[in-house]
Amino acid sequence: MSSGRASFRDRLFASDHVAGWLFVSPAVVLIGLFGVAPIVWALIISFQNNSLITSGTWVGLANYRHLLHDPMFTASVRRTIVYTLLFVPITLFGALAVAMALNRRLHGIRFYRTAVFAPVVTSTVATAIMFSWLLDPYFGIVNVVLNKLGVASQGFFQNPGQALYCIVLVTVWGWLGFAVVIYLAALQGIPRELLEAAEIDGATRWRAFWRVQFPLLGPTTLFLVVWLTINSLQLFDEIYVITRGGPLASTTVVVYYLFQQAFAFFQAGYATAIAYVVFLAILALTVVQLLIGRKLVHYRS
Amino acid sequence: MTRSRFACRAALAFVAVAVLALVSALLVAGCGSSSTTSSSSPGTAGSGTVTIWHGYTDVERTATDQAVADYNATNPAWKVKAVFAGNNDYALTKLQTALVAGKAPDIAYQYGSSMALLAKLPQVVDLTSRVKDPAFDWNDFFPAVRLATMVNSKVLGVPALVDNLALVYNKKLFDQAGVAYPTAQWTWDDFRAAAKKLTNASAKQFGWAYVNDGSEDTVWRFLALLWEANGDLLTPDNSKAAFNSPAGLKAMTLLHNMAIQDHSIYLDNGNGNYLNVFNAGKIAMLWTGPWDISSINPGVRFGVQILPADVSHATIAGPDNYVVTNNGAQRVQGAWDFIKWFTSPQEHLKYATQTGHLPLRKSETKLPGYKAYLAKFPSSAVYVANLDNVTKARPNIAAYPRISQALGQAVQAVLLGKMTPQQALSSAEQQVNSILASGQ
Repeated sequence: MSSGRASFRDRLFASDHVAGWLFVSPAVVLIGLFGVAPIVWALIISFQNNSLITSGTWVGLANYRHLLHDPMFTASVRRTIVYTLLFVPITLFGALAVAMALNRRLHGIRFYRTAVFAPVVTSTVATAIMFSWLLDPYFGIVNVVLNKLGVASQGFFQNPGQALYCIVLVTVWGWLGFAVVIYLAALQGIPRELLEAAEIDGATRWRAFWRVQFPLLGPTTLFLVVWLTINSLQLFDEIYVITRGGPLASTTVVVYYLFQQAFAFFQAGYATAIAYVVFLAILALTVVQLLIGRKLVHYRS
Repeated sequence: MTRSRFACRAALAFVAVAVLALVSALLVAGCGSSSTTSSSSPGTAGSGTVTIWHGYTDVERTATDQAVADYNATNPAWKVKAVFAGNNDYALTKLQTALVAGKAPDIAYQYGSSMALLAKLPQVVDLTSRVKDPAFDWNDFFPAVRLATMVNSKVLGVPALVDNLALVYNKKLFDQAGVAYPTAQWTWDDFRAAAKKLTNASAKQFGWAYVNDGSEDTVWRFLALLWEANGDLLTPDNSKAAFNSPAGLKAMTLLHNMAIQDHSIYLDNGNGNYLNVFNAGKIAMLWTGPWDISSINPGVRFGVQILPADVSHATIAGPDNYVVTNNGAQRVQGAWDFIKWFTSPQEHLKYATQTGHLPLRKSETKLPGYKAYLAKFPSSAVYVANLDNVTKARPNIAAYPRISQALGQAVQAVLLGKMTPQQALSSAEQQVNSILASGQ
């Protein structure tokens, strides 16, 4: 018995395994405390009727069942999907075009690159205030220009039919620079010889782009698709600052709906159930994207 | 083997240092905050520190600190400590968190709209019997502010602030349009006609502004209209919607007519631009409270009048309260002693004269210092008189935020012309009834 214990201890201390874990333990403890613990705690709350004020009562899967019959939730999911289907492709192809344009020797190229990246480092609140003035239905400069062109004034953020598309505009403006920088770095990693070879073989620039450059950008594109999709499914800041989910709930996307449930109506149990559904949806979608990516994306060895 | 044993010991030492550092950091942080709240010495009866949380910056903060210093100078038993706890918008969440952590202040400034939720917290002290103290003179407070402290007829707070909606107008725009200034006899028809005359589409000038974000800001102005038409939000027992009524229809129809027919309303999307636009001389009338008065540019000549009447000139108040949390009987007594003093007529008038807040008690208006107060804040005269027009309060029930949302959507739909007044009322009524029936 005692000899068995001693040999176990020997084996334990003999391995580098323990030392490794001990070295990373401060980080593990902190991440566990402030990262993992709240995630687990949220899962527990999602099975409760919990107002965040008093301790909750156990309700099992009732919050998740309620989700299936909540038309406001379904509508918020639909809006999130519409938003994602617009935001991701527009940002992706917009960024690719801009990156191509910036990937050459031009006078003052640094200025252009900085300018494109500037919106990324501008705070969301500042961006939001700027756009809400630009697109103000009564005093905004955009309507002034439209009127000059003979087009009637638009409601933009105050029109339930336009508000979500205006949010797409604001977020594309804010995120484009990030995607451009990533694409630009990838473009500069493509050897010039490949393009020269294509040119010698008689390929047009257009053809060379689609047959040589674009496939070589595959890993970057995959990364951006995954990254932008995750972010667009979690859209919140711009909605909170500009429209507060309105008008007439037309911009109440799923995370904003979650926020309302938790912090306006104090239905924390229901809100965490929504959060878990969003989490699982993102996880599933990311796995699917990566699986498809594995088939389509070409990795240079 | 020796190498890995050495590595192991080094790692252990590293972890020990890291853990020590972390623990001591937490301890320091913990001590820092606990020393502010829990230094009452249990040996002596009724002495120690009472902490009050508020969300004020600027003049209110100075006035609060001044009052606390005055109190501490004359009342040696209890030392009051005023702590700025961040924006009042988060006061409820902050208090909740502090209660869970066991580090709650003794007194906390809270919005009136949070009272129903606060009533669910066992630590919030029921003050019903204390306010009955004749020396406190509870009935001296304006009825509107007393109503807002009560949940299920229990008094759970002491009034901290009161305001109400009145009509603020730009005199220059009235002069230019040749429209007579609003009077205390104005009706809805007068109001609508004036707003129409004061609207000039080509100059982008509007008669009135309405906050149209569907939030409580949208709802409470509608409630004023509803009450003016002698309607009610809910039935007296708060069990069903009562706003789908002739009064509700009249109120919604006024909004519809002004927004859709006359185009005389500037719709603010919730970013508060209406005040900038008013300052720029593009909006003639606002329905707003004393808090906006200080933000009106000095160059704008403005007047204040009570709201126009349908059946009555009813208005709505947005009162906030001080709640007391239970940190032991002695500290509750210490907190109560301070609040009693802080909200006494003399002290509150002193505070109001520094900050421009409205009086909380009727007797404040009879004190000698009241003239000086009015001289400093002339527009307060109408707001004080207007407190008599506050006869109803929003229901202090936990479902209110969701009821407010349903009604906010209805008002928004009418203002945007997406629903007729009757459609909007019926749809909101159905939602509110199902919210109330679900019993949450």
